[in-house]
Amino acid sequence: MNAEPVSRPFWPSFVAGVGRAAGLPSLVLMASLIGVGGLTRDIGYPMFAGVLSTILIWAGPAQVLLFGSIAAGASMPAIAIAVSLSSIRFFPMVVSIVPLLRGPDVGIGKLLLGAHFVAVTSWTEGRRLLPGLPVAERFPFFIGFACMVMAAASFATGVGYYLIGALPAALAAALLFTTPMFFTLSLVAGSKTRADWAALILGFVLAPLSTFVVGQDFDLLAVGLIGGSAAYLLHRTRRKG
Amino acid sequence: MLAALEHATGGLWPYLVVVLIGFLPTEIWRVIGVFAGRNLDESSDLMIWVRLVAAALVAGVVAKLLLAPSGALAVVPLWGRAGALAAGGLGYWLMRRSVLGGLVLGEAVLISVGLIYA
Repeated sequence: MNAEPVSRPFWPSFVAGVGRAAGLPSLVLMASLIGVGGLTRDIGYPMFAGVLSTILIWAGPAQVLLFGSIAAGASMPAIAIAVSLSSIRFFPMVVSIVPLLRGPDVGIGKLLLGAHFVAVTSWTEGRRLLPGLPVAERFPFFIGFACMVMAAASFATGVGYYLIGALPAALAAALLFTTPMFFTLSLVAGSKTRADWAALILGFVLAPLSTFVVGQDFDLLAVGLIGGSAAYLLHRTRRKG
Repeated sequence: MLAALEHATGGLWPYLVVVLIGFLPTEIWRVIGVFAGRNLDESSDLMIWVRLVAAALVAGVVAKLLLAPSGALAVVPLWGRAGALAAGGLGYWLMRRSVLGGLVLGEAVLISVGLIYA
C-alpha cells in the first residue's frame, strides 16, 4: 500500500458500503434467496450450483425462472430465452448507474465488475446513496454494499438447500413457498399502472392454460410474450384514449 | 441429445446449466449496459414492453410453482397454497405495503395448513 500513496483509500468506503447493506437490505435478499436454495435441492442439483447461481446470475427472478422451469420440464433453449428476457431490464439499469460509478481510476474493468453487482436492491440503493458521496468513494462503497448483500444471499441459498432436507414437512413446504410468495409480493409492490397489473394477472392465468396449449417446453416463454404484449397493448390504448 | 450431454458432463452438468442457461443470458445485458455510451430512456415504449414481458414471465413461473409443485410443497393441498398466497397479499396491504410483513403472514397460513395435512 505504501508504494501507491496517491491512490485513494479503498477499504474505508468499502466498509461503509458493507455497513449500509447489513440490516434490512441483506435481510430482504436472504428472504428472497432462501427458497432458491430449496428449489435447487428439489430438482436434484448440488448445493454449490444454487450458491453459484446466486453469485453469477445475481437476479432472483432469473434464478427462479431457471430452476422453476427445469422443475416444470421446459427445454433448455426456451429457458435461456426466458431468463434473458427477464434480465433485459439490467440493460437500462446499468446504463443509468454507470455515470455514478465512473471516476478517474474506475476504468472499463471496474465498471464491468460494478455492473455485475447490479440487481434490484443494489441498484435502487446505489441510485439513492451514491450521488451524496465524493466521486472517489462511490465505486468502493457500491462494491462493499453489493458484496455484503451477495454474501448474505449466498449464505441464505446454501442454508435453504440444507434446511429443506432437515425440516419437518410443514416447514419444508414453507421454505419452498418462500419463493412464489416473495416474488408475487415484489411484483405486486412494483405494479404501479394498470398495464403492470394486467401483466401480473395474465402471467398467473395463462401459465396453467399454456401448458396444455403450447406444451411444457415453451409454455413459459409463450406466457411472457403473450401476457406481456397484451399488457403493453393495454398501456398503448389507454394512453391514446 | 440432452440426456447424452448430461451423461457426458457427469457431475458438472448443473454448473454448466447455471453458467450457460442462467449466467450468460443475464450477464450479456449488464455488459451491453456498460458499453452503451448514451443514456437510455427508461420510460421508452420498448422498455415498458420489456418490463411487462418480464413481469408476466415471473408471474407465470410463480403460478406453475404453486399449481404443480414438486417435492416438499406438494404436501400442502392446492387450496392451502392459494389461501396462503391470498393471506400474504392481504398481509401486505394491511401492514402498509410491507413485503416482509406479507411474506410472514403468508408463511404462517401455509405452515398452519401444512401442520394439519403433513
